[in-house]
Amino acid sequence: MSSFISSYSITWALRQSVLTAQSNLAQAQQEVSTGTYADVGLALGAQAGQDINLRNQEALLQTFTSTNNLAATNLGTTQNVLSGFQTTAQNLLTALVGGTNQNQTASALQQQAQSALESLISGLNTTENGNYLFAGTNTAVAPITDYGASGSANQAAVNSAFSSFFGFSQSSPSVSSITASQMQSFLTTQFAPLFQGTNWSSDWSSASSTTTTSEISPSMTVSTSVSANNSAFQDLAQAYTMLSSLGTQNLSSSALQTVETNAENLLNAGLSGLTSVQSGVGVTQSDITTANNQMSVELNVLSTQVGNLENVNPYEASTEVTNLQTQIETSYSLTSQLSQLSLVKYLS
Amino acid sequence: MNLTTATHIAQSALSTVSAESAVVSRNISGVNDASFSQKIANVITTFDGGSEVASVTNAQNQALFGNVLSATSASATQAALSSGLTSLLNIVGEPGSDTSPAEKLTDLTNAIQQYEATPSSSSLAAAAVNAAQNLASTLNNATNTVQQVREQADTQMASSVASINSLLTQFKNVNQQIVTGTATGADVTDLQDTRNSILTQLSQQIGITTTTNTNGDMSVYTDSGVALFQGGTASTVTFQPTQTYTAGTTGNAVYIDGIPVTGSSATMPIQSGTLAGLATLRDNVTVTYQAQLDETANGLISAFAETDPTNSSNTLAGLFTNGGSTALPTSSQLTGLAGNITVNAAVDPSQGGNPEKLGNGINFNFNTSNQASFDTQLKQYLTNLSATQSFSSAGGISTSNTLSGYAAASVSWLDAEQQNVTSESAYQSTLLSTSTTALSNTTGVNLDDEMSQMLDLENSYSASAKLLTTISSMFADLANAIDQATAA
Repeated sequence: MSSFISSYSITWALRQSVLTAQSNLAQAQQEVSTGTYADVGLALGAQAGQDINLRNQEALLQTFTSTNNLAATNLGTTQNVLSGFQTTAQNLLTALVGGTNQNQTASALQQQAQSALESLISGLNTTENGNYLFAGTNTAVAPITDYGASGSANQAAVNSAFSSFFGFSQSSPSVSSITASQMQSFLTTQFAPLFQGTNWSSDWSSASSTTTTSEISPSMTVSTSVSANNSAFQDLAQAYTMLSSLGTQNLSSSALQTVETNAENLLNAGLSGLTSVQSGVGVTQSDITTANNQMSVELNVLSTQVGNLENVNPYEASTEVTNLQTQIETSYSLTSQLSQLSLVKYLS
Repeated sequence: MNLTTATHIAQSALSTVSAESAVVSRNISGVNDASFSQKIANVITTFDGGSEVASVTNAQNQALFGNVLSATSASATQAALSSGLTSLLNIVGEPGSDTSPAEKLTDLTNAIQQYEATPSSSSLAAAAVNAAQNLASTLNNATNTVQQVREQADTQMASSVASINSLLTQFKNVNQQIVTGTATGADVTDLQDTRNSILTQLSQQIGITTTTNTNGDMSVYTDSGVALFQGGTASTVTFQPTQTYTAGTTGNAVYIDGIPVTGSSATMPIQSGTLAGLATLRDNVTVTYQAQLDETANGLISAFAETDPTNSSNTLAGLFTNGGSTALPTSSQLTGLAGNITVNAAVDPSQGGNPEKLGNGINFNFNTSNQASFDTQLKQYLTNLSATQSFSSAGGISTSNTLSGYAAASVSWLDAEQQNVTSESAYQSTLLSTSTTALSNTTGVNLDDEMSQMLDLENSYSASAKLLTTISSMFADLANAIDQATAA
């Protein structure tokens, strides 16, 4: 039996194989140069959604990493401010305990307390990127009223409490007539409430007690600020105000002693409060570091997974290019040889 | 037997060789024509011992030709689907190219995450609103693209129907000539080639099967069994095109003599050919994808909806609205929602809105104490975005998923469709190539074969011519001998 092949199918087969090989070659070359599939969507098909989900998670973790840097900066600044408060309060406490010469010490203490109050207020009004760090969520408004400014609500409240209790102002010479028990009564019943509850929030602080919170990882939300309404700051403010604006330089030694004892207690309470606030901030800082480290591990895993889906095997791809080149070259030489191979050439 | 008979036989041989040469040259002229079939001259011996070409037939193989027709149809179906899907794939792009609704949704989530980390920043608020606008316009554009693909498919269906009708008219004409020619014993081989070529073109448009009667008459049916051409009469294929498509538009069906062959009302729906591919694209693939886009849009509107803090039953559309309406979309408004979704003008700076309302509340004021770093709403949105929602089954993918999971599944669905069509298309074109080669090898022309036949014919022509000269010289010799005898 003789076999039969039409001339059309001889050339057609060659044409087809060259066309197919050429389009495959273009694709393989792109895969070699990019390292990923020429058409990722087509190669993945139903897995494309998984790829998108992985990329989605990757982007989310990167967002977390960048917002965490912001939170870490804020917390670092907060920690610095708190250390400053710690030092100031400690120094004042040392001066208070070690004070011997009464008159000189009283006025020196008053000045020191005044500057401590100023540094407390300016510290609590610290801004970072235009946001007040200690304002809770009310970050657009300076949290603490400036005590030194004339007519400020907090100063007016202290002055009016003093004059309505004793019948004269702090600068009056009659201050020296105040007894220790009168002073103690004033401090407990009139003065202390000015630094608490609604008095604190109407006269001293416009901060929100709700602190700002941030998601630092997909599963973890932490408080990223300290509110100026924290009792540690109230205690310190009370101690500083007590020493600086109750006319202490003119007080009798027993009344002064009462003021100093009260201030000492408040400073101690404030210092221990500060320490616990600082350790809270420290825990958050370490949470953020841990979260960042964990997320960087996860990011590595995710990018490996995305790579597993999208990347071609480079050896396979470059071998394919070589094979296709060989195939096309063979087709060319076959075409040229077959075109010679015709009976017409041998007829004269 | 005498010399006159020998002359006659040699003459008949010369005319037979001429006729055969004519057939060979017809074959040579058709060597590169795929639809050309090899012509065979059937030579018979006449009563006086001479020869003549009684008829010309062509090489045929109905079974292989049927394979070519069905492979052509199947290949055309996939090509029609593939071109539509390619347009749809431009909506989603490659993973990582940041073009798909799924990736725009990720951008929005990230923008809100950043805004939530610094709620007092108006520039981050604006960035979040901008990401929302990008997402909304991606969904709007996707809807436009889907509906454009449907419009194009509809237009192409109309031209496919027109081409089927015109091919059937040509077919009727050629078929009639073949029937007449067969009856009178004329050479109908070229007409048969023409008819086959018409059938091949027809099978591009619509899947067909054929049957042939002994008188040469052919009947054509669709692959679903509806008669296209029967008993010498062509059916009329009708289709009423629809000019403008919106998401809710249902395209008209194609009718063959009043019988619907596409769409949901079709009892005998056609299976293959460009027409079937376009109908699937217009009525199924695009409709399902539009439903997925609409579900994504609806999920977005509900994830960002705001509930009245003083009346929990009062929920209004927040960041995303149905064309600016504060009311949440009703179930009858779901179709085409992706084309209507817009970012609330109250947060759009270009329309005089304030982006910071995104965090503080658009319809209601959630930030009653007016705090710059209020982020309760933003946290709620992030929770909503990562929460599982339920989706309509019209989308053909998972009905319970997170919004981003659903959007990603939609990309998966489209890419999987494309993968199916591509592999099916590769298979069908291989099949078509194999069938075409097999048919060509059975019915086609081999140039060398024709040339060697030509040589044979040349030889027998010169032999016959030589015979004639020899007989002629024999007659001359005879005449000379008679002359000499007379002279002597």
